[in-house]
Amino acid sequence: MDSQCLVASQKAKRETEDFINSHIDDPNKGWPIFSRVATDFASKWKSLMLEDKLLVWKFKHGSRDALCQIYEKYRDDLLRIAAGLLNETDVAEDIVHDVFIMFVRSAKQFRLTGSLRGYLARCVVNRARNENLSRQRRQTVSLDDTEPLALDSKRPDRWIICSEEFARLSNAMATLPYEQREAVILHIQGGMKFREIARLQGVSDKTAQSRFRYGLTKLRSILFSEVTK
Amino acid sequence: MRPADQTKQFIKNASINSNPDVNEAVLKELINEMDKSQNTACVTRRPDMWRIIMKNPVTKIAAAAVIIIGVLAGAYYLGDSVNIAGTAYAEVVERLHNARTLTYIVETSASIEWMPSIKMEIAFKEPGYMRMAAPGGYVSIIDSIQGKGLTILPPKKQFVEIEMSNLQNDPAQQNINLIEKLRSLPERADEELGTREIDGREVQGFRITEEGLINSVWIDVQSRQLVLVEMEFLNAPGMSGTMSDFQFDVELDDSLFNLTPPDGYTRLEIQVDTDEVSEQNLIEFLRLWTTWVKDSRFPPTLDPTKLANFSMEMVAKGEFINDEQISEEEQHEKSLKMTRGLMFLLKMPADSNWRYAGEGVRFGDAGTAIFWYRPEGSQTYRVIYGDLSVQDVAPENLPK
Repeated sequence: MDSQCLVASQKAKRETEDFINSHIDDPNKGWPIFSRVATDFASKWKSLMLEDKLLVWKFKHGSRDALCQIYEKYRDDLLRIAAGLLNETDVAEDIVHDVFIMFVRSAKQFRLTGSLRGYLARCVVNRARNENLSRQRRQTVSLDDTEPLALDSKRPDRWIICSEEFARLSNAMATLPYEQREAVILHIQGGMKFREIARLQGVSDKTAQSRFRYGLTKLRSILFSEVTK
Repeated sequence: MRPADQTKQFIKNASINSNPDVNEAVLKELINEMDKSQNTACVTRRPDMWRIIMKNPVTKIAAAAVIIIGVLAGAYYLGDSVNIAGTAYAEVVERLHNARTLTYIVETSASIEWMPSIKMEIAFKEPGYMRMAAPGGYVSIIDSIQGKGLTILPPKKQFVEIEMSNLQNDPAQQNINLIEKLRSLPERADEELGTREIDGREVQGFRITEEGLINSVWIDVQSRQLVLVEMEFLNAPGMSGTMSDFQFDVELDDSLFNLTPPDGYTRLEIQVDTDEVSEQNLIEFLRLWTTWVKDSRFPPTLDPTKLANFSMEMVAKGEFINDEQISEEEQHEKSLKMTRGLMFLLKMPADSNWRYAGEGVRFGDAGTAIFWYRPEGSQTYRVIYGDLSVQDVAPENLPK
């Protein structure tokens, strides 16, 4: 756990201890009761603290703990989405890094109108899309032409550490048209509804569903060596 | 398992991990960035103001500004401005940091003849409750966790329910988190003011100047209690305010923050469904504003806080058409239009790149763009002109 997160957890622990001290007279019974109450308390505390609305509220008011929790909560999801979309970990890492930086810089103006997860995911998607477009404009290398994702996770400066399955998936993803890739990643890994994906892509719900379906079919044929008709 | 399900499962299971060292490094960078933002942040909004503005006809905006600036500037002062070297202050800061509840009295006054001093009792309770009580039994309660509020209007036995479920960053909610704001106090004051006596107590003073506001903080030398905060509003000459009677961690019963209206009170509807607000609501507000002012110009800004300050000045200069005679129904309708217009802005996502350029432009000027934004998912911008017509414009053709 990062040191900043410790502050929040230590606060919870302190409150728990205070609670225990004020409720338990017999020290011999202390530990089992402490264990039970602490678990209960931690659970309640977590559900309260991790609730996005409250987190955003605190974050906007300068709470480092809230920033820490948001980061911990969504970092890996965003990295996974970015890596899935881009098939290039360096760029994916840069994008997620930039999204968090911009999120922090715009804290005062930030307006959450939906889910925080959805918002951050959209930021990643938009940047990934821009990256793809800029490559196409430069007519250099498109995302579809990138080298297969290498499992060079041993590099100390590497943020994303891919599993073999993810590398295999990412390489398969790279063969899909970008819109299909987006639909698949956002629906399955981003947990977005087709309506949200459609809005993001500026298409109808049915088109988003079709993109997902075609993408999934092609992935299946690649991943499991099936022949599509 | 069906092949499609198998593929979905494979995608779900294909995991990545993140390097803990890099995680920590990035987090440190984010925290540094946050600190930088905090240090450079200025007072951008005094949250409840816009809501009050919306509930008043335009000639009363100034009065609303007095009340709200008074209430909220104190919160901003405490939250944003000061940390003073010195043990007395350090102890106050510590107490603020640890406060679970906080109550105080705020009193504002303005050197405007028809504007009386206003005194309100403020109570905060974690995790996000606020209660403001004014003479005459007027009470506003905000529950920021639920995103709901209640205002009680005794004269006509009415109550107003505030429902901002789709506007999680409603500025009205921002103010409530005073306790949280207090935990991020900056490091120093601008000036030490020496000692003086207040009600027989020797107090030590510190002055902090921030954008638009001078605060003088007085702390009891002996007890090290926060005694008084004096506020002077630079953007509203003649306005001043005090905060006093601070009490930390007093027991505040939950019933104080109960959102159930009293028996016998009837509902006054001002609920705004932010899902439904649109560009048209902003246009209606802009049109409405031009009917309020004598020269038919659009508002100088769409920032609710600045708009209130400008309105104060405009009231003083007699730039508004006197509409004191309008009925309550008309007032209500106008307030609703204003609310919905500004809601449209509040709801707009950050990447809409909206910009307002209506200052000084008169209604009817079809050649001047006064507002533009990029709707979600659109490649082009919507541009509103001075005659309130709207066109889709490519980014490269936007006004410079």
